[in-house]
Amino acid sequence: MPWMDVMADMALAPWLVILPLAGALLAGLWPAAARWWGLLTALLTLVMALLLALQVHAHGPMILDLGGWAPPLGITLVADGLASLMLLMTAVVGLAISLHALGYLAGEGRGHWFWILWLWLWAAMNALYLSGDVFNLYVTLELVVLASVALVALAGGAAPLVAAMRYLLVSLLGSMAYLMGVALLYGAYGVLGLQALGAQVALSAAPMLAAVLMTVGLLAKSALFPLHVWLPPAHGSAPAPVSAALSALVVKVSFYLILRLWLTVFPALPLSGLDVLMGVLAAGAVLWGGLMALRAPRLKQVVAYSTVAQVGYLFLLFPFLRAHPEGWKAVVFFAVAHGVAKAAVFLAAGTLQRAAGHDRLADLGAVMRGRLKTSFALGIAGAGLVGLPFTGGFIAKWLLVQTALEAGLWIWALVVLGGGLLAGAYVFRLLGPAFEPGPADRGRPLPAVMEWVPLALALLTIGLGFAGTPALSLLARTLAGGGG
Amino acid sequence: MIRRRFTSPLVLLMSLTLAGLLIVVVLDLPPQPGLAAPVADAMDRSGVRHPVTAVLLNFRGYDTFLELAVLMLAVLSIWSLGLRDPIPARPVQGPVLHGTLRHLIPVAVVTGGYLVWVGSSDSGGAFQGGAVLGAAGVMLMLSLPREMPMPSALVQRLGLSLGAFAFLAVGTAGLLTGHGFMGYPPAWAYHLILGIELAASVSIALTLVLLFLGGRSRRVRHGR
Repeated sequence: MPWMDVMADMALAPWLVILPLAGALLAGLWPAAARWWGLLTALLTLVMALLLALQVHAHGPMILDLGGWAPPLGITLVADGLASLMLLMTAVVGLAISLHALGYLAGEGRGHWFWILWLWLWAAMNALYLSGDVFNLYVTLELVVLASVALVALAGGAAPLVAAMRYLLVSLLGSMAYLMGVALLYGAYGVLGLQALGAQVALSAAPMLAAVLMTVGLLAKSALFPLHVWLPPAHGSAPAPVSAALSALVVKVSFYLILRLWLTVFPALPLSGLDVLMGVLAAGAVLWGGLMALRAPRLKQVVAYSTVAQVGYLFLLFPFLRAHPEGWKAVVFFAVAHGVAKAAVFLAAGTLQRAAGHDRLADLGAVMRGRLKTSFALGIAGAGLVGLPFTGGFIAKWLLVQTALEAGLWIWALVVLGGGLLAGAYVFRLLGPAFEPGPADRGRPLPAVMEWVPLALALLTIGLGFAGTPALSLLARTLAGGGG
Repeated sequence: MIRRRFTSPLVLLMSLTLAGLLIVVVLDLPPQPGLAAPVADAMDRSGVRHPVTAVLLNFRGYDTFLELAVLMLAVLSIWSLGLRDPIPARPVQGPVLHGTLRHLIPVAVVTGGYLVWVGSSDSGGAFQGGAVLGAAGVMLMLSLPREMPMPSALVQRLGLSLGAFAFLAVGTAGLLTGHGFMGYPPAWAYHLILGIELAASVSIALTLVLLFLGGRSRRVRHGR
């Protein structure tokens, strides 16, 4: 296609940072129009993310020296398969969250704060995906933390404030650990670029300590069991669009950073021991999160515990990294499928909660029977979380099990399958009230967009069931490090 | 308290282990020249004469831009939490305080402005200048007998985002004119950097004063 050739030379990556940042600044200046800035930003960012994914797919990874200063002096932006897939997932989920928030926040006096903080969060996540520099990554990480903590506190009241404070403290501890790792790496090698570090890191004490500090710090931010205790209250008590953003996107951000570090900076370090430890924690997360989801009395709490469980799968990354060269791609596809499905579930939950005025599972039956579109969305997206056939979750779990079996790690395959059973149980528990006989009630009147957006996202999880091949071929255009 | 009895020794043990590990590893690090040589080589194209300013505003300007964004986001986050408590009225002070203020504030403003300007050739810059200006603002707030009249909400927001806006605008212009995102045309670098530093110092000073005050004032728009 001729237009692809013209596009090949264009630097698209910076625009994925500029657009949301400009949107965030403008929304902050004109809070009265914040939602329109938000919507415009969401649309433009999605277009740009699509173009970037196409460009990377056609021409391979691109490295951009900021200000024309080549590393080691300057900072680079790296737009490769992994980054552009995460950007695209964030843009799709982000647009859905923005549209849903139009309805969810309608009539709320403090609604503009959501838009301002949400656009900042979006800009920070995009900047993080694209950054190719360990210190710059730290700055973007701080932005992500500040914006998400403020978003958690936005619900107001004691419980969200306590949750936000706990989240802030855990995140700061994680950031400090990460920063110590950055300092150690700079002290040992005198460079900050991911690629440059990857070319130099060899087995010795300083990079080992840096790797442990950075990984553990980021694990706390991703809420891997047993560092998960802050997540359910924070994700469960936030406004629904915020819960969706946190569970679908923010948790993936620190996972992405761990993956990026181990792919480019630390591939020379041995994983022995770490892979088993991570696998055990992952299994613990799947089990504990699943069991807690079976017991939680409120709809959004169930979904939040489901995130604890599903974060477990993400950290099967470590056993896979050691045993299977392509294994991480299965985990990334799982992260994408989970992001879309979890956002759909949280948004649907938000719609039901607004319609019923509460989210106690036991009393939701009438509204679930009255709001069939939303219940249907909850069902399909729930099937995606379980990994039932014809959903993205199915392909994702298929890839995970296949990878585990190819690498001879059948025990992790059992974890995936067992986790699927638990997920099945709690998703049926979510849907159960809808199937009880009784009257149907549409509850409070709601804008139509709050019903259509979860449904569209849920249908997208089915679309993702057919996206395995293009996603994997995009991921094949990822910059790996180590001597590169 | 029972929980603290168990967790405190654990926290102490973990901190000591980490400190010990860090000491052992850091002492063992080979001498490392870092990036002093590449920075020195590129100084003539940076537009400024002081290496720290060259790194902060030019070579790694993107980091500094995002740091400005962190400061601004901190204020926005605090504003999103709610209104601030009004400063309680204090007794009218004697002539000494007022006389001192009348001398100190102009000195602080001149010092802050000088620090921003001198940053291009010597130690100084937007953060240092902004800190001095911010301190002057906090001093003024504390010593007035009553609440200082705050500027309108729009002016507060404009001042707060001035630095980030200027930086983003210049950075985007660099992208559009072929100098790369966050890049300057070398001939213009000095003027652009000085302009960004001035704008940033205003925002930083205002950020510090607003952080000191806590939540948003009643004049920052509450409704949609």
